[in-house]
Amino acid sequence: MMILIMGGSGSGKSAYAEEYLVRLARGSRKYYLATMQVFDKEGQTKIERHRRLRAGKEFVTIEQPTDILEALEKMEEQSALLECMSNLVANEMFSEKEPKRAEEVSEKIVQEINLLRNGLKHLVIVTNNVFEDGNVYDETTMEYIQALGSINEKMAVMADTVIEVVVGIPLTIKEGK
Amino acid sequence: MKLYVGGYAQGKLKFVLQRIMQENGKQQESCMVWDGAIPDGELVKEAATQVDTMSQSKTIIFNNFHQWIKNCIQQGGCPEKEIMGLLERYPDCIIISDEIGNGIVPMDAFEREYRERTGRILVELAKQAEEVERVICGIGQRIK
Repeated sequence: MMILIMGGSGSGKSAYAEEYLVRLARGSRKYYLATMQVFDKEGQTKIERHRRLRAGKEFVTIEQPTDILEALEKMEEQSALLECMSNLVANEMFSEKEPKRAEEVSEKIVQEINLLRNGLKHLVIVTNNVFEDGNVYDETTMEYIQALGSINEKMAVMADTVIEVVVGIPLTIKEGK
Repeated sequence: MKLYVGGYAQGKLKFVLQRIMQENGKQQESCMVWDGAIPDGELVKEAATQVDTMSQSKTIIFNNFHQWIKNCIQQGGCPEKEIMGLLERYPDCIIISDEIGNGIVPMDAFEREYRERTGRILVELAKQAEEVERVICGIGQRIK
């Protein structure tokens, strides 16, 4: 089963996604697939905040900034929370000197997510709504937005349930069967 | 307290004013609209004592709430604390805020902090609110 949870910054999407996975897992083993790379103090603070949120929920953390499918070998066939897609896309896109094209990144990630979903009992994915500020950015950033948008679209097709979190309130975009 | 959120230029204030008139048969004059700022002196008044009758009888509509948060942070204030004080004084107020978190994470550190803190304040307000509504294209979508 795959659940896609989307929201803007500070929307409460992470807290909601964690609760969701805890409910699904019902005491079985839970993995936290962390995609964020830390470069500075701000990133560190962010990660610490997320750790506090997860405290007591007994997640096994796997750091996987790129090549998300590799995480599958490190897990039992259980429940995982991937947080978050916006970082994974950035890491994949900008991991080499030249940024990769949106289609290339999108194709790779979608394929890996599909296999990851098939290998797990529950997969909850947190993704970011970066699409509504109306700004026109430089070419690379627009390419990044394209990639994330297309990945979100394809993940929404794969997902059983899609939820948008607005001011901490979950709104159902796609209803699970 | 009631919370209304939505994108820029979605007709949030108009929607709220129309609703007040329809629902309560109230006139627009019975509302007091604060635009992105708390009028001078509101916060220094004691919450429990001497609530002046004029503002008590009026419904406070705090429009452009996000702008107040921004100014408050810029001036070194703590919007998280101040808004709670305000809610004690005006438990029946209406708060209208732009949704500002749905974009590319800004390069500027202050802009990032402003978005993040605004988001978290709105999550907290939504928890406490009797009603939360999202306004899109001038249409309200009740989400709590």
